[in-house]
This record gives sequence, structure tokens and C-alpha cells, in this order.
Amino acid sequence: MQGPDLSVAAFLLLSALTLGGGGGVIFSGNIVYSALSLMVSFLGVAGLYVMLEADFVAGVQVLVYVGGVLVLTLFAVMLTHRIEDIKVSNRDVGKLPGLAAALAMFAGLIAALEVAPWKLPAEGVAHEAFASTQSIGNALLGRYVLPFEVASIVLLSVLVGAVVLSRKEVAEPRVSDDA
Amino acid sequence: MNLSNIQSLPFSLPEALLAVGVVGLFLLELVVKRKAVLGELALVITAAVTCLVAMQSGGQQGLLFSGMVALDGFSIFFKLLLGLAGFGAVWMSLGSNEMRDEHPGEYYALLLSVTLGMFYMASATNMLMAYLALEFVSQVSYVLTGFIRGSRRGAEAALKYLVYGGVASGAMLYGMSLVYGLAGSLDYAAISQVMAGLGSGGVDGAVVAGAQPVIYLALVLVLAGVGYKIAMVPFHMWSPDVYEGAPLPVTALLSVGSKAAGFAMMIRFFYPAVSAYDGDGNWLTAAGVDWQSLLVVASMVTMTLGNVAALRQDNIKRLLAYSSIAHAGYMLMGFVVMADDGLQAMMFYMVVYYIMNLGAFTVLLMVLNQSGREDIEGFKGLAWRGGALPAAAMLIFMLSLAGLPPFAGFIGKFYLFAAIIRQEMWVLAVVGGLNSVVSLYYYARIVRSMYLDQPAEDAPGFVADRHNGVLVGVLAVATLVFGVWWRPVVALADRSLSFFTG
Repeated sequence: MQGPDLSVAAFLLLSALTLGGGGGVIFSGNIVYSALSLMVSFLGVAGLYVMLEADFVAGVQVLVYVGGVLVLTLFAVMLTHRIEDIKVSNRDVGKLPGLAAALAMFAGLIAALEVAPWKLPAEGVAHEAFASTQSIGNALLGRYVLPFEVASIVLLSVLVGAVVLSRKEVAEPRVSDDA
Repeated sequence: MNLSNIQSLPFSLPEALLAVGVVGLFLLELVVKRKAVLGELALVITAAVTCLVAMQSGGQQGLLFSGMVALDGFSIFFKLLLGLAGFGAVWMSLGSNEMRDEHPGEYYALLLSVTLGMFYMASATNMLMAYLALEFVSQVSYVLTGFIRGSRRGAEAALKYLVYGGVASGAMLYGMSLVYGLAGSLDYAAISQVMAGLGSGGVDGAVVAGAQPVIYLALVLVLAGVGYKIAMVPFHMWSPDVYEGAPLPVTALLSVGSKAAGFAMMIRFFYPAVSAYDGDGNWLTAAGVDWQSLLVVASMVTMTLGNVAALRQDNIKRLLAYSSIAHAGYMLMGFVVMADDGLQAMMFYMVVYYIMNLGAFTVLLMVLNQSGREDIEGFKGLAWRGGALPAAAMLIFMLSLAGLPPFAGFIGKFYLFAAIIRQEMWVLAVVGGLNSVVSLYYYARIVRSMYLDQPAEDAPGFVADRHNGVLVGVLAVATLVFGVWWRPVVALADRSLSFFTG
């Protein structure tokens, strides 16, 4: 039985996709490449969801993030003029101090997370398959109905706000004298 | 009581009214011709919501919506304050020239919706709900910050707010995921049990191996999210630019509303969720994690940086932004004592801060309406060119913000200092005292400009408009009254400090 090894290999591959994509977003000088790297990262995350048996979330991830958000981002990037030469007013601290800070953070995280007393399911408990879509639906309209409804007000408000912010104001139609 | 979804509905009337108001204003905007009605409607709704909350006080307590939000003394106290903050912002918007033609329907609906978000921030007892409420307030605030069309400053402020907000809430989410990993639940009630199991004897108590670093890490990360909302150093960088770029009523709401909501969420998370109550007015940190010392330092740095940076500001909005950072530092003094009297002092101070800071912003609004200026020049000789009453009110607000007797700000600071001195935190007390002295300089500068500088010969006269004048008058009187007769508010804060944990 090769199961466990395969899943480890899949996990490593998907993590590499996710992290590599993330790195591409940050380090690429071209913003279009950045957007495309983001897609790789999103797909990696979708794969990780599948591995966690959250198939519905994985599907939504692909549909919403890769299919919707990312395509919109690409549109926005390509429709925006003069995105190449941006004036950076807040300079960063430089590559080396940044790298050092990131490594220190990483080391600290690993050290702390490795010894943490995580609350894990008991060993040897049989793992049952379950219908994730059904449980999500029940949770959304059962226990989590308040956040679900509040989220809809958030979305409504933000949607209207985005329209107001991005609307090009049409000048008041001038009544011409000779009409 | 721990109520299910349907049973909770009668207890969430204020929130329901706000939600109806949001949707109703969006729709009414389409049919109503006279747009001024929309703002007045929003004013009525905020007033009605505040009354509804007041009617809940002293009633039943419990967890609503299967543990998502709590209805307890604490949440009712903050909802009252936040409802009044929403009311104040709507009132100021109605009297603001710059907001007159800016899509009133959408604008007032968004003000109501940000108030709704703040209500949930103050009452959330579940990490998912807390995060959602925080994001709710943030997202709508970004829109409100950049609401004035064609304002470059506003657009830049909104973008800065968005970028900083994104990083802060990302960090907080990571911290929350660590807490979830430890507790296996999103509910504060369950988290508090797990935390107690990991060692609840305070800083010196026994601890489960390995629990300390990860809890410390999680708390620091969560602190990034709430610290950003309350403008605590080092998460304060957005605040001067956003305060300056946002429309003035929105700035006022951010400074009194979202700060109070941030503190409420922070108290709920750091006290009932991850600390243990000893039944005697004191709290013990879980698993020996000493976040107290970290926040003592943060408090000192926050107030010092805010006050020192405020010294050099000529733009009053920026000055008040740094002053509001400094005040976040003062309020943190009440947060770090790990005792009920500290929290009560904080809650009292937030009421006082609401009164005096909203008052200062409203006087600034009157000056801005008249002269289009929001720098210190706009206040030059204000008392001698027809603005005697607004100048007198501003004098009261400034001296109260500086913490001088006999104003409410003095009493507020007195309680905060009393709380830390009772815990013998001398260094913090000395730093706080020195800071109050420093802050007097820049508050007094405005007073000097209003009274001692003569207006230029050709300076336009100042005509106080009645609408804003009423609000300024009420707040100035409140600052004076609570400076000599503060017992009722303190009693309310004492009574309101009760957490329902299920």
C-alpha cells in the first residue's frame, strides 16, 4: 500500500505550488506575471483543500478566486495605464534586513508551533467520509446563520460603496441657451 | 441563557433596525427626490437604535444566535456608546458643507452599516463573528474615508487604510487560527476552558509544556488586528493620514466609534476568552503568558509617540489624530492592570473621550464650514470675530482632553491613574503623568490661537451655525457636568462590567 507516501508527495507538491506562486507574486517585477503567479498559488491552495477533504471549499476556491477574482484582477491590471513606473514613497528597509526578519520570524514560528499542545483528534479513531457540501449548508443556515446574514450586509454595503467610489461623475447636463 | 437563532430574534431589535435602515436607505435613495430626508431618517434611526439598546439594559443576559454574540452588561454599554457615536456622526454630516452633495443615500446607509458592524464587534463571542465584524467595520470605513469625490487626499487615505488594514487583519486571522488549533473551537467560552486547562495560575502558575510560546505568538498576532483598530503603536501609521484625508464626520466616527469598538473586542478577547477571573476583581493570564508587560510597554510608547508627534502639527485633523493615538495609550493603562477597576476606568474614560473628542471635531467642523480651513490658522482670533461660544466650547474640550480639572477628562484620567497606582505600576504612572504635561502644550496652542492671537484685519467674521452649535453646546455642558458630577457614569461603567460566558 503506497497511500501515505503518495499523500505526502502530493502535499509537498501542492505546498510548493502555493509557496512558489506566492513568491512569484512578490518577487516578479512585472505585475501581470504577479497576477498569474497568484493563480498558481490559488490552485495550490485548492489542492490543499482537496487533501483536507474539503472538496466543496476547493471547488469554490477555484470558481471564485481563480475564475472570478483573478480574472478581474487581470482585467484591472491590463486596463490600468502607466502601472509600470510607480513612484514608491515608502521605501522598504532593504533586502537583507527583510530576509533576516523573515527568517527570524520563520524560525520562531517553527520553534513555537512544533512544541505546541495542539488539540488533535484521538489516534486510531476511524475516519469517516462525510458529505462536506451538506454539512456546510447545514452550518450556514443553522449554527452560523448570523455571520452568514451579516456577511450579506457587508457585501451589500461594500458593493454599493465600490460603485460610489468608482463611478465617474457625469457632469450635470448643461441646458444650452440656443435650444 | 443560551438562545438558538429563532429565540434570539427578539433580543436583537437594535441590530435588526440598523440592518433595515441600511437596506431601506439604499432603496429610498432611488425614489426620494428630496435627498435631505435621507440624512434625517438616518438620524432618527440611530436615535431609535440607541433607545432600543437602552431599553435592553438591566434585562436578561445571555448568548444569542448559538453563541455568536453576547447580550450582557458589557455589550449594552458599548452599544449605547457606539449608537451615540453613530448619531453624532450623522448629526455632524447633516451640518457639514463638504458632505452636502455626496450621494446622501449611500453615505448615510454606509454610516448605519458601519455602526452595525461596530455593534457586532462589541458583542461578538466567537472568533468567526469577531473577525467578520472587524472586517465589516474596516471595509465600510475604507469606502467612507474616500467618499468625497475627486478628493486626492481622501483617495490616498482610503488606499493606505486598506493596505494597512489588510495586513493587520491577515495577521489577526493567523493568530486566531493558532488559538483554534489549541482550543478546537471558535467560541470564546470553549477557548476559555481550554486556556484554563493549559495553566491558569497567572504568570507564575504551572503550565502545560509548550503552550506558552504559541499562545504568546497568537496573542501578539491578534493584537495586530485590534491594535490597528484602536491606533496603538506600532499599528498606528494609518491614522494621521486617514484622519486628515477622510471627511470630517467620518474622522470623528473613526476616532470615537471604531476605537471604542476595537477596545471592546480587545477586552472581550483578552479578558473573558483567554484569561481567568479569580472572582475577586482580578484576572489571571492563561498559561503564564505575560502579555501584560508587553502592553505596558505598548501603552507607554503609544502615548509618548502620539503626544510628541502632535506637538509639530498645524493641521488640526492631524493633531487630533495624534492626540487620539495618545489617548489610546492612556486607555491601555486601564487595560494592563488585569483587574476590574482598570476595565471600569477604561469604560468611563471612553465615555468621556467620546464627549470631548466629538465636541472638538464638531467645533473644527464649524470652522471648516465657515472658512474652509482645518489648520490652526482657521482658529486665529476665533473668540474675537464672532465665535465666542464655539471658542469657549473648544477651550473646554481642549483642557478636558489635556486632563485638567474641573473637566470630565480630569476625572477620567484620575480613575485610570488610580487603577494603575493601586497595582503599583509606578513607571507607567510617571510616564502617563509626563505625557499629560506634554499634551497640554499642543492643546493650549489652539486655545492661545483662539484667544490671544488677534484676527487679521481682513479676517472674515464667524457666524456659528445653529445645527452644529447645538451639538457643541450639549457636549460642552456634558464635559462640565461630568467633571463635577461623574458618579452616575462611573456607576454605569461599574454595573456594566459583566461578561456573560455561558
